[in-house]
Amino acid sequence: MQTKLIVVRVAVWAVVSLIGMAGFPSAMAQTSVVAVVVNEKNPVKNVSTPELRKLFAGEKHFWSGGLSVRLFVRAPGAYERVVLLRLLSMSESEYKQYWTAQVFRGEAQTEPVALFSNGMQKEALAVYPGAVALVSFQDVKPGMKVVKVDGHLPEEAGYPLN
Amino acid sequence: MRYNRAAIILLLVASPSHAQDTARSEREMIQQLVQQVKALQEKVEALESQQRASAPSNTDATSQSVSTPTPQAADNNAQPAALIQELHGLRGIQWRGFGEVDYKVLNQRTPELGTYGFVPGSSGNFYTGDFDLLLTARIDDKASVLSEIAIGEGDAQSYNIDLERMLFNYDYNDHLRMSFGRYQTAIGYYNTAFHSSTWFPTTADRPLLMEFSDNGGVLPTNAVGLSFTGSIPSGKLGLNYIAEYGSSDTIRPDLNGQTLTDENNGNHINIGLFARPDSIPGLQIGGSIYHDRISDFAKGPDVRLGQMIVNGHVVYIRHGIEFLGEGFLLRHAYEHRSTAYDTPAFYSQISKQFHRTRPFFRYQYINADVGGILDDVDLRYGPSFGVRYDFNDSIALKIQLDHTVRKGEPDLNGLHMQLVFKF
Repeated sequence: MQTKLIVVRVAVWAVVSLIGMAGFPSAMAQTSVVAVVVNEKNPVKNVSTPELRKLFAGEKHFWSGGLSVRLFVRAPGAYERVVLLRLLSMSESEYKQYWTAQVFRGEAQTEPVALFSNGMQKEALAVYPGAVALVSFQDVKPGMKVVKVDGHLPEEAGYPLN
Repeated sequence: MRYNRAAIILLLVASPSHAQDTARSEREMIQQLVQQVKALQEKVEALESQQRASAPSNTDATSQSVSTPTPQAADNNAQPAALIQELHGLRGIQWRGFGEVDYKVLNQRTPELGTYGFVPGSSGNFYTGDFDLLLTARIDDKASVLSEIAIGEGDAQSYNIDLERMLFNYDYNDHLRMSFGRYQTAIGYYNTAFHSSTWFPTTADRPLLMEFSDNGGVLPTNAVGLSFTGSIPSGKLGLNYIAEYGSSDTIRPDLNGQTLTDENNGNHINIGLFARPDSIPGLQIGGSIYHDRISDFAKGPDVRLGQMIVNGHVVYIRHGIEFLGEGFLLRHAYEHRSTAYDTPAFYSQISKQFHRTRPFFRYQYINADVGGILDDVDLRYGPSFGVRYDFNDSIALKIQLDHTVRKGEPDLNGLHMQLVFKF
């Protein structure tokens, strides 16, 4: 009787583990999608990956409608920061050096504002019509407009910011 | 006793009925509150729909626009945003500083500008190079001011202040960005990428070709005038242009520091094109053509010559790799004569970051035509190699060894150690 009980428990544990292992990657994938969000008044619908790279590298200063781009990024340690560095193919120190140089060259007026939470990013987006930020898709809140990247929305197949 | 029993019975009968009444009144109150909440929700929805109808329909139907913030929400957001502005210095003047302390050893017998470090009777020397202050201020979304003030060390610990750059910038759009004031000429890549600070370059010094003209450099590195730049619609090619028009009047000392030559430059024009292709982030390929007219007082007070400087460059900076390659051809053609003097020059530099350490190698070459105005430079070439170690994001140490072959003079060997910092 006791042996049967142990066998049943082991079987239950194995099934649960298998389900967990199968489910874990999809859960990770869901949490690791990062959305490109802008102010609701910004008419932009879609950006390409190279355009996004130029935006966050400070090489593109204006949106197509003429709005001045305002960059907001997450402070080091946030997942959005990792995705940003991956997009720019830079390490953290290269990123800092790059932006110091951009300001020094007069290519940018200021370095991108680094914020400590997605809530602060939301507030910044609401105030600046030209604001753009990267936000974990699960943290997208009312007041944020999600922009397609390469024609794909977050969670769609082919979306590049995973 | 009878009265007491009666009172207890009355109380027992009365209390459930009182409890029932209380529960009923609470239920009624809850129902009333629910009705009030529903009524308020309907009012809010009506107000939101009115606001949506009055707002311009600029939201994207295909993208996920979640909702429009209410005016009250916008007011609530204004305060944190103002705080964000204050915290991150989006308003007001921003200061940045760059400094260096150098120690240089040369087996030099005759002093030269551009090599620093020479003190007759000693083999090595300390100096502080340039102490750079960068001031920037945003006036509005399109206008800003940039100023770079360098405090440089002269002879015997004397210091002079130089306004390296003072620019009023106005960005009309991505295709037209204008600057007015004193700028560093966009002849090639190096001059506008690194400006006056030694923090940004990997090496401890500038290639001789790119040395500032007041240190014996051969290029007109600074000018006062107008500068226009912007992107050219070119798809994945990522083309950009630079156009400059201004006065680059330069007084250039000979490399031996004994004679000063006022080139009396006329207004210059400089046109440049460069591409940053989408397919290879970090790559820049470009070139520029610069032209002005200068004087050669050594040959006569009215002798003028046309100065043309052609540049081509390839730069790749990404994945910890830095490659800089620039080639130049300087042509000085005397007016009313058929004589022209060509000076070909190039430098090439490669480095790779390994954690905090970045070893580098540079090779430079310049060959000034004999009889021209760059006679003192003549033929020079040689390698430099060394390492840059970044202690953190703000402090670095560079150690560099140089070997320069000079025509008609002994080869020059040097050790250069440089502590650089930014704040």
